[in-house]
Amino acid sequence: MKSAELPEVSENFGPTAVTRADAVRSRLIDTFSLIDHFRGLSQAVPRHNLREFLDPARQRKLMLGDQHQLVRFSIRPGHNRILFAQRQQCRLRVRCNRWAPISLWAGWVLRKRIFINFVNCLIFLNTIFLMVEIELVNTTNVRMLPIMMALEVGSWFILFIFILEIVLFWLYNFFLFWKSAWNLFDFFVTTLSLLPEIVVLVGVTGESVWLQLLRICRVLRSLKLFARFRQIRVIILALVRALKTMTFLLVLLLIFFYIFALTGVYFFESYSRSDIQDLEYQMYFTDVPNSLVTVFILFTLDHWYALLQDAWRVPALSKAFSSLYVILWLLLGSIIFRNIIVAMMVTNFQAIRNELSEEATHSEMQHKASIFKRQIIKRRLNQKDGEKAKVRSSSGHITPQTSYHSASSLTGDMSQSENLVKTSVPKDLSTPQEYRLSSDSPGLVDWETHVHQNLHGLMEMDQDERVVWPRDSLFRYFELLEKLQYNIEERKQLQEFAVKALINLKDN
Amino acid sequence: MVGTIGIFALPMRKDTECCAYVKRFIEGRVFSVLMISTISLNALCMVLQTNYDIRNYLFLIFEVVEVLFMSVYCFEFCIKLYVDPLGYWKNGYNLLNVVIIIILSVPFYMRKLFGRHYPYLNIGEGIQSLRILKLIPYSRGIRTLITALGQTICTVASVMTLLFLMMFIFAILGFCLFGSTDAGDLNNWGNLAVAFFTLFSLTTVDGWTDLQKDLDERGFTLSRAFTIFFILLGSFVFLSMFVGVMIIHTEDSIKKFEKELEDERHVAVLQEKQNILKKQQEEVSRLMQKGLVEGFKKTLRHSDPMVLEDFCTTLPFIDIYLSTLDNQDNTISKYIEIEDDLGLPKLRGKGKEGEHSRQRKSIERHW
Repeated sequence: MKSAELPEVSENFGPTAVTRADAVRSRLIDTFSLIDHFRGLSQAVPRHNLREFLDPARQRKLMLGDQHQLVRFSIRPGHNRILFAQRQQCRLRVRCNRWAPISLWAGWVLRKRIFINFVNCLIFLNTIFLMVEIELVNTTNVRMLPIMMALEVGSWFILFIFILEIVLFWLYNFFLFWKSAWNLFDFFVTTLSLLPEIVVLVGVTGESVWLQLLRICRVLRSLKLFARFRQIRVIILALVRALKTMTFLLVLLLIFFYIFALTGVYFFESYSRSDIQDLEYQMYFTDVPNSLVTVFILFTLDHWYALLQDAWRVPALSKAFSSLYVILWLLLGSIIFRNIIVAMMVTNFQAIRNELSEEATHSEMQHKASIFKRQIIKRRLNQKDGEKAKVRSSSGHITPQTSYHSASSLTGDMSQSENLVKTSVPKDLSTPQEYRLSSDSPGLVDWETHVHQNLHGLMEMDQDERVVWPRDSLFRYFELLEKLQYNIEERKQLQEFAVKALINLKDN
Repeated sequence: MVGTIGIFALPMRKDTECCAYVKRFIEGRVFSVLMISTISLNALCMVLQTNYDIRNYLFLIFEVVEVLFMSVYCFEFCIKLYVDPLGYWKNGYNLLNVVIIIILSVPFYMRKLFGRHYPYLNIGEGIQSLRILKLIPYSRGIRTLITALGQTICTVASVMTLLFLMMFIFAILGFCLFGSTDAGDLNNWGNLAVAFFTLFSLTTVDGWTDLQKDLDERGFTLSRAFTIFFILLGSFVFLSMFVGVMIIHTEDSIKKFEKELEDERHVAVLQEKQNILKKQQEEVSRLMQKGLVEGFKKTLRHSDPMVLEDFCTTLPFIDIYLSTLDNQDNTISKYIEIEDDLGLPKLRGKGKEGEHSRQRKSIERHW
């Protein structure tokens, strides 16, 4: 390997060639772990494979022979998404269970469309029951009593179904339950509506106010609806994300609230302590909690002028400073800040919408990339055939023109939507495939632009594609690639010289 | 060794080590934690001081704590000025610090100069609440937010000016129509200031029905048209336009800001990569000698498989690369033909091109 010579050559070239060649060389070093090998740190060569390991006789010999007994393996992060449901079917705990595999059955039930719709209907029914119950709770009409009983029993039944659903999920996978926020919400709501009944059962009779409150929590069961429907989920998630990005804005708003509340207490001191009768808003600036509430009232632009006019009735209060305070807070807080919040919400929603559409364009790009790949493979194959034909027919001087001919004919042949063609037509159209060219039509991109457009998509393709190389070929490949970079750079320089020469000629 | 402190320091500082030490201290975590806790404690104390009973009870403690806070702020001012006397004034947050120190000393001087019964004393105490603004430089998120939104200030200012002009016109109009005569509504339109307030009340559509009722009682015929027209113009058109303009500017400035951050990060990552690459190259060229590499190459066997997932070793990449090179070769050969036609001297490029295509072929063969 003539690596010792190359560093001298590289000084003549521009930065890009050197960086590309360096990148190739570092890839080589990385793949073959040359540094470790030269330091003598490890036997970088994989000398054994799995079959030798599994054979017990050979395995013993290996273990005795290799003094470090180290194994080098490479980890490839997998991109598969194995669902828990799929994994569960393979687990020993489920397959070799002594009793029936309840977790499998629980998972099946939970995923059944009928069950999900049934629970949704029950949530609706629960809401209706609650509404009717509220209406009837204070009647003394005797005939309504059976209806009340029926509603009560219905409510209990629905509660038991909800509990059953949670228990089913626990049977399916206990730990997965707690990882999802929607499940936590469900659990919280169900326990909250269960709490008053338990409390009554235990025997706590006092504190009826709290019991009433807890009973009211039944109403929260209707909120379970939010978790069910996908559209509502998307909206709630978008809202949470928007709020998260706006945390610092809210912190800034809180700082301003603090400033104006504290200032308000001092500015309106004489108003709070005034002896004038029937001042409407006298309690509004007495101390900091009241002042905070007043600042919020001003933020919502409610009765601010009435407050100001009331404050002006006190002669000791300086009109200039109080009106300056109110006007400044209105401008800053209510007009500017509120509109900044609106603006940030709109920006966030737009960003979320763009992201969602990005996913759609991502899959579209993948599709285009796979089409592009097919084109390339076909082109390459045809190129090889064209070359072989040319070699057989003519002398040994292989011109690149042949490959171009077959490539362009190939592209004309393809029925894909992307027709790529070079805008300049080759000179000798000897082979019969040429006339199928869709040639010379303006507006179609040439090969390089097409490559640039699609290369990114090709690189980002999600395939777990692996290529198996023979080891020495890979080393030789990297070596050649590095040398190729230098030569390409040299050619570029020569091209520039040629262009300059041509221009000079034209000028003279 | 203490160098000269002050705005007229020598261009070459003699106390570089001390300066660097102080600078490291300022940018360290201890200092920022100290400042944040001081400012928060100060804010809490100010809240407690509003309550008369607490203030009476803990009077001495508050006095001592006040002196402590003042000294901490002055200390911060002094050491920041020491580190960079001239560059100190260019940073907006440092100017804010100076303003707050001035504000801090206002009540004291007021009391000294004007006595204890000056009516504007509570104003001086009121603006002490601005001290909490000192927290902003120590919080990265708020700083970025303010930088991102700073661009919108120009828009805000221009819209506000427009609104003020419009209100001015309508105030004069309203004064002449409703407030100039004796039978007019002097309470709301009597002089220009009150007229402005009335119009502002109409813009924020709060309690405007009462104002309109006042005008109706006096029997002005055109008052309704005037009020409704101004509300449409001021509240609906102007405030909505305000919202729209702010939305667009916020979007633009945030996008630009994020792009800047992204670029910075990208450049930093690239720089890191270059450094790592360079180190690797140096190490390898140090270790690599001709014999070693040849020896390594001898250990490579054709039957050993290497499984790779890199893009540069995949077949599509090789296909694309070689096809692109073919096209470039084609361009050159065409160019050479043109040269032939024009009768130019042949370049040495042909020979290089041959070697280049030879290398390409050898890649294909090995494949």
